[in-house]
Amino acid sequence: MVSELSPTPGARSVRDDDGRPQPPLPVKMVIAGGFGVGKTTTVGAISEIEPLTTEASITSVAAGVDDLTHTPEKVTTTVAMDFGCVTLDPTLKLYLFGTPGQERFGFMWDDLVEGALGGLVIVDTRRLDDCYAAVDYFEHREIPFAVAVNAFDGKIEHDLDDVRWALDVADHVPLTVFDARDRGSVRDALLVVLEHALARAEG
Amino acid sequence: MTSGEARGGGEGAWSTERPASVVRPFLLTAGRIAGGDSLVPPIPIETQVVATDAGLATLDRFVFDQHRDIITVCREPQSLAEIAARLRMHLNVVRVLADDLRADGQLALYAPQARSHRDVSVLKRVIDGLRAVPDSRGAIREG
Repeated sequence: MVSELSPTPGARSVRDDDGRPQPPLPVKMVIAGGFGVGKTTTVGAISEIEPLTTEASITSVAAGVDDLTHTPEKVTTTVAMDFGCVTLDPTLKLYLFGTPGQERFGFMWDDLVEGALGGLVIVDTRRLDDCYAAVDYFEHREIPFAVAVNAFDGKIEHDLDDVRWALDVADHVPLTVFDARDRGSVRDALLVVLEHALARAEG
Repeated sequence: MTSGEARGGGEGAWSTERPASVVRPFLLTAGRIAGGDSLVPPIPIETQVVATDAGLATLDRFVFDQHRDIITVCREPQSLAEIAARLRMHLNVVRVLADDLRADGQLALYAPQARSHRDVSVLKRVIDGLRAVPDSRGAIREG
């Protein structure tokens, strides 16, 4: 059996009685959005390690297929996925996974996303279309998420209400502006997601 | 106490280029794959993996480099994702091999509890921990 880590470890020690390293409780968040929108920059801005890249499999469902068939063609693709981590305390480690950009497909990241605390969908206001797939995915899977407009210096030319209207995201989905290069700004965007997730968990 | 040795190896040792193994990764897993259409839920990618004393004791006796490499990097707890990245192996190959080594008692795997991501106390701990992350080096954010 694979051991399960308690969500609230009693001991603060990171070594067990035999002196063996005790792992922290791992939690994860997902950074999504279109190609080149700043996912890896976002991960790198806050990660304590240089973002690592690993090969993972995602199952793509061909988009635009004839809905009458109900048997969309599924294709498993190997994609490169960037991720980083932040050790929050000796017993708790946050992993940030940048989802591979697959804008032209409906996609199934379930294997990667299962158990995520929440998702951050990064948006470039010049290419709003690129984020729809991620927004749809999180809504469909009922994963708490926020939409974050990536803007230099955290400033955008558009009114946020206009962006919300253009994106057609539900009113309860938090919408924020951030700078993917700035650690404090990334931290605050992640906190928007987590506060939203907490409100849902408590509600 | 093994951490000293592990740190002695250093991150650099893992990230250096090395020749591709003569053993194809999916051959080593005997064609077994994790994820995909498998009926068995895949082990979460953030699952923590640690070498056991038994694993470290048999380090010299592994036939395949991949097994030895996994045990070696897991002297300190690692996620499956980190193992895959550092050893340049496909995530699903690492899943299968790590589970084999666990079954043999050479690795310990610690998966998060299924519901911990909806656990209010976990979310609060993550929020508190993240708030303490400074804007940049030095400064701690107020409030």
